[in-house]
Amino acid sequence: MLLTEADGKALLREADIPTPPGELVRAPATPSVPGPWMVKAQVPAGGRGLAGLIRRAETPQAARAAVAALLGATHRGHRVGACLIEQVARGEEHYLAIALDPAAYGLRLLYRPEGGMAVEWGGLLAGTALPPEPAAIAAALPGLLPAAVVPVATRLAELVLTRELALAEINPLFVRAASAVAGDARIVIDLNALPRQPALAARIAADPDAYPDAIRRQEHGFDYVTLDPAGRIGLLTTGAGLSMMLIDEMTAAGARPLNFCDIRTSMLRGSPARIIAALEWMAAASDLRAILVNIFAGITDLAEFAGLLAEALAARPVAVPVIARLVGRNAGAAAEILTARAPLVVLEPDLTRALARAVEAAR
Amino acid sequence: MIGALSRETPVLVQGITGRMGRTHAGLMRAYGTNIVAGTGTPGMIDGVPVFADPAAAVAATGATASVLFTPPAETLAAGLAAIEAGIRLLVTVAEGVPAHDAIRLGRAARASGAVWVGASTPGLAIPGVLKLGFLPDVALRPGRFGVMSKSGTLSYEVGYRLAEAGLGQSIWVGVGGDSVKGVRFAELLPVFVADPATEAILLVGEVGGTEEEEAADAYAALGAPKPLLALIAGRAAKEGVAMGHAGALMHGAAGSPDEKTRRLELAGARCFSSIAALIAACMSL
Repeated sequence: MLLTEADGKALLREADIPTPPGELVRAPATPSVPGPWMVKAQVPAGGRGLAGLIRRAETPQAARAAVAALLGATHRGHRVGACLIEQVARGEEHYLAIALDPAAYGLRLLYRPEGGMAVEWGGLLAGTALPPEPAAIAAALPGLLPAAVVPVATRLAELVLTRELALAEINPLFVRAASAVAGDARIVIDLNALPRQPALAARIAADPDAYPDAIRRQEHGFDYVTLDPAGRIGLLTTGAGLSMMLIDEMTAAGARPLNFCDIRTSMLRGSPARIIAALEWMAAASDLRAILVNIFAGITDLAEFAGLLAEALAARPVAVPVIARLVGRNAGAAAEILTARAPLVVLEPDLTRALARAVEAAR
Repeated sequence: MIGALSRETPVLVQGITGRMGRTHAGLMRAYGTNIVAGTGTPGMIDGVPVFADPAAAVAATGATASVLFTPPAETLAAGLAAIEAGIRLLVTVAEGVPAHDAIRLGRAARASGAVWVGASTPGLAIPGVLKLGFLPDVALRPGRFGVMSKSGTLSYEVGYRLAEAGLGQSIWVGVGGDSVKGVRFAELLPVFVADPATEAILLVGEVGGTEEEEAADAYAALGAPKPLLALIAGRAAKEGVAMGHAGALMHGAAGSPDEKTRRLELAGARCFSSIAALIAACMSL
C-alpha cells in the first residue's frame, strides 16, 4: 500500500534522509517556515502534479488559499484530508528509487540524473539489481551513483530492508554539491509485514482519512475497498480476482459498483459479523440501489454461509434488492435456507444473468 | 517437476495436524494424491505418519513434493526446512506471507533448483490425476487447456465454466496473488508448451506487478507455439490500494491492465474482458 508523502517523508527522516522544512495541516493555515512554499495535497496516489494538487505559493496568503482549495478535493478515489506546506527546495533534480525485485529475488536500484514530474516509476524493467544484504549494497553503491547521492541511497536501502518496504522512491531528489534533500516520497509498504512492523502499523492507524481501506482490513480481517462513494451496486463477494472481474464487467456495462469486497467465507467461523459490517458500509453509501452476493464455494459449505447471510440480513435489513448467486458445495440446501429465511433475496445461479439483474436493478 | 507429477509422486503435508492441513490432506487423498507423510505433532493421523520436521519425513518416506498449511509468518522457516530436506516442489497456500520473507524463500528455492508454487495460492492440479492444495473438485475436469492464474476464485469460475461447457484442463497452476512469489507465469509457459495434453494456454492475470508483461515477452521468444488466451482483472481498481491480493497494486501506468493487454496482444496472445468471452473463445478453439 502506498503511503502519503507526509508519512513517507517521516520514514525518510527516521532514516536520516533530509526533507525540506514544512508542516502538515488539516485546515487552512499560514506557513510557520519561511517561503516560498509548495502546498501539496496528501493522498496516497500518484499523478498529483498533473492533476493540479501541488501548487507553488509566493506569499503566506497564497499558501493558505491553496490549502483551502485543495482540502476536500478527490483524486483517484481518495479524498484530500491534509496538505503538506513545505519550503521550496533547491538543487539539481535527480530520480532515486529502491524497489523489491520479485523476479530477481532482491532489490533494484533505479537512478537517473534528471528527475521531476515527467519521470514516473517505470516498473522493474530498468535499473541495477542488488542483493538484499546491507553490506553488499553499501559496497556496490559508490560505483553506481554520484558521491552526493550515495549516503541517501545507502540509507534508503537500509530503510527498505528494515521496514520491509516494497518501494521507496524519491523524485525529485534535490542534489547540491555535497548534500541531497528528498523533495517527494513514494513509499509502498507491505501490509502483510504489518504484524511485525508496529511503528508502521501505528502510523496507518493514526490516519483514517488517508488509509480507510487498510484500517478496515486490520480491524475486520477482510478486504472492503470503496471504489466509488456514489456507486449504486454493493458487492458481497469472496475472492479478490473474481470480485475485481465482476467490478470490471459491471463498469463495462455502464453500471457503478460501490465497492470491492473479499469477505473470505472460509474465515467466517460461524459468525455473521463480517457480513453485517459489509452491509452497514453499503447501506451508508449515498445511492445504493442493489446488492450482488457472489460466492463460489470450493470448500466453504454454502448452507452455512446462507444461514449467516440470513442472520445478517435479519440483524441489518437492507432496503434494496439483494441478488445472490451461490455456486458450489451444498448450493441446493443454501437456496432452501434463503427461500425460507430471507425470501426477499433473489436467487440466480447463472453469473452472467445475476450481473445483468444487479445492473438492471441499479438503473 | 510440475510436468512430471503423477499418481505415484510421494507428497508430504506440512502442518497436517492443524485444522486446515488435516481437512485438505483428506480431500487431496480422496482426489488421488499420494500423501505419504505429514509434519506436526509426531504420531499417526488418518493413517498418515506424522514427523517432527521435513527432514525426518523425507528420510522415512522419500517424499519429493510438499504442501504447506503453515501460518503466513511461519511459511519461510517451514519452506526453508523443506528445501533443506530435499523437497523438489513446494506449494505454500498461506495468504499474507511478508514480501521480504518471500524474497528469501525464492532465493533458497532458486539456489537449490526446487520449484516453489505460492504463496497465497489454492495450489495446482493435474485434473483426474492429483491435486496439491485445494482447487475445488467441481471446477476440475481433465481436458486440453493449461491454466495459470494469480487469483484462486477467478480461476475457479473459469474452470467451472470450462467444465460446464464440456471442456477441461491439462495442468492447472495457481501462481498466487502476492507480488513476490515462487513460480511466475513466464516460467510456466515452457511447461505448458512441453506438455502434450495442453493444446492452448489460459492466463488469468490481474492488475499489478509485471508478470503478464514478462509472460508476453517469454511467449514471443518461444515463437507463440500454442494459442495463449488471457483474462486480466482489475481495470476498475483503485490506485495505490492493494485489491485484496498483496500483488494487486498499481503504481501509475506500471502494472495497469491496459498495459498488460497491450503487451500480450503484441506478443500474439488474445485478451478478453469478460469471463463469458474467454469461455466462448475456448469453445471455438
